[in-house]
Amino acid sequence: MSNHYIEVKNLKKYFQTPGGNLHAVDGVNFTIDKGKTIGIVGESGCGKSTTGRLMTMLLEPTEGEIFFDGKDITKLTPKEMVEYRKKIQIIFQDPFSSLNPRKTVFHSIAEPLEIHKVYATKAEKENRVYELMELVGLSDRFVNSYPHELDGGRRQRIGIARALALSPEFIVCDEPVSALDVSIQAQILNLLKKLQLQFGYTYMFITHDLSVVKHFSEEIMVMYLGQMVEKAPVKELFANPRHPYTQALLSAIPVPNLKKKKERILLQGEITSPINPRQECRFAARCSFATEQCRKEVPDITDLGGGHSVRCLRIHEI
Amino acid sequence: MQKKLLEIKDLTIKFHTDDGVVEAVNKVSLTVHEGETLGIVGETGAGKTTTALGIMGLVDCPPGRIEGGKIMLDDRDILQLDEDEFRKLRGKEISMIFQDPMTALNPVFTVVDQIAEVIANHQQLGEKEAEQKAIEMLELVRIPAERAYEYPHQFSGGMKQRVVIAIALACNPRLLIADEPTTALDVTIQAQVLELMKDLKTRSKTSMILITHDLGVVSEICDQVAIMYAGEIVESGSLEDIFENPLHPYTNGLFGSIPDIDKEVEFLSPIEGLVPDPSDLPKGCKFHPRCKYAQHLCSVEEPVFQEYSPGHYAKCFVYEGKLPAKEVKKYE
Repeated sequence: MSNHYIEVKNLKKYFQTPGGNLHAVDGVNFTIDKGKTIGIVGESGCGKSTTGRLMTMLLEPTEGEIFFDGKDITKLTPKEMVEYRKKIQIIFQDPFSSLNPRKTVFHSIAEPLEIHKVYATKAEKENRVYELMELVGLSDRFVNSYPHELDGGRRQRIGIARALALSPEFIVCDEPVSALDVSIQAQILNLLKKLQLQFGYTYMFITHDLSVVKHFSEEIMVMYLGQMVEKAPVKELFANPRHPYTQALLSAIPVPNLKKKKERILLQGEITSPINPRQECRFAARCSFATEQCRKEVPDITDLGGGHSVRCLRIHEI
Repeated sequence: MQKKLLEIKDLTIKFHTDDGVVEAVNKVSLTVHEGETLGIVGETGAGKTTTALGIMGLVDCPPGRIEGGKIMLDDRDILQLDEDEFRKLRGKEISMIFQDPMTALNPVFTVVDQIAEVIANHQQLGEKEAEQKAIEMLELVRIPAERAYEYPHQFSGGMKQRVVIAIALACNPRLLIADEPTTALDVTIQAQVLELMKDLKTRSKTSMILITHDLGVVSEICDQVAIMYAGEIVESGSLEDIFENPLHPYTNGLFGSIPDIDKEVEFLSPIEGLVPDPSDLPKGCKFHPRCKYAQHLCSVEEPVFQEYSPGHYAKCFVYEGKLPAKEVKKYE
């Protein structure tokens, strides 16, 4: 028994496809402490969103355990799960498709309160909806608007209000700002940060944008083809990235600063198929350090101390 | 001084819709010199893509209409061309890379056919020769020749974007317009495509207009930058001018909104409020409802777009000396 708030052990999700098993998430381990944020970073197809969906039990894991406050939520009956659904919420990526177009702002936000029958009277429910709208910075006059009348930033605020409605403890943010404009992105990021300071939420922040998580989380896990390749406290990861993939990812970000032009590590090729992956390092095909051995065995995770771990065979040589 | 290739003067594009007139582009003036890359930066609805479509002669009419201005390519006003003349120009002298490579290609033709089509249309070559040249173009964008006879769905996003680039470059255009060419791609693939574009730019000396919302991408590849807001250019200058000495409060706000990977901050400093509705633009300075420095004057009168140091233009009363001199903070 550990004393971590959330502990994920050997989490796996395989999807059956005509071509074979698609290893979307393949043995991921991590922990999150209460009130902290873990950033999950990776490119399309690395399994980061699937991990988010597994954490909220929107998908059932193929294997593995998710301990939430000491209890394994993958073993709960649907009835027991209802209680946990209140505590675990998710904010989706696309505020354009995650809202019901036929529901007004009021009904969208009130929906979770109605499903869980939180309030006995209508007045109490209405109060809570207005309170939530104020919390996320939506003005009262939008209460009867439909999603199509609102811009992306405001729609995302509805998504956030819905997630907050039941006073959750843990929130999965699945690329909450990537569909938004830069100036709106910053508004939403600030809002999420403010809410965390105010209510002590624990976040899992999924993104492809390293500069966003750097601003946001205490710890970062980099994923590649369903596996964790590197995990470290945020400062350590940026100061001392060890996995060749993390290094390439960091160097690929275009920085809006003329004085700090860095050497870029260009990766060859593109992500390989996650269907029936071979027994090798999954990054080997694109890695400039790869040797014969990398193509023969799956590397283990090396613990470098201080919470920094890396999945690379040649970690001590590179 | 390099030769001017493209000069846009007071371009105004409006869309007449049932809900009113959308003023998408208002008196935009831009210049692109030979061999130079101009970055147009702005948020959704700023009018960047509409400006590009205006240059390409692709504004849907109706509802869109070019209501004023000139687009001079060398000494010709291309707005005066008829459709036949424009067709000869499009793809040959000016070509465009579209944002979404997934929808820009025709799914029922092989990639080599799609490249050969442009070449055959513009260069009076036979089928075989056009195909040969198309394969050369594919190799130029680093796609192996043996994949030429495949269909778009067999390619990944990054490779599709390379095919789109190959089509755009097939006739060696003098001006290439790239509309958010890397936005739909992953970071490592974006890096590959940017590197390719930089390489092609130095090799072929094509002039380029790069449209993007990402200031990081701009700093990689552009020589000149224009910042657009609500259909207008609010600031323009060289890359150094804009990045080291931004003048307009909106430009500063944009920089403040980006999480900087080299800095530690608790909170970002975003621009409050939202981009205005282009069918109902505010009076005076279009940015005043969101501007920290706005005064009464800003809501009644429109500032003038003028030069403050050689080549560095901005549109703001603070610099006209009409507001009590409150200094606009760099990066807020």
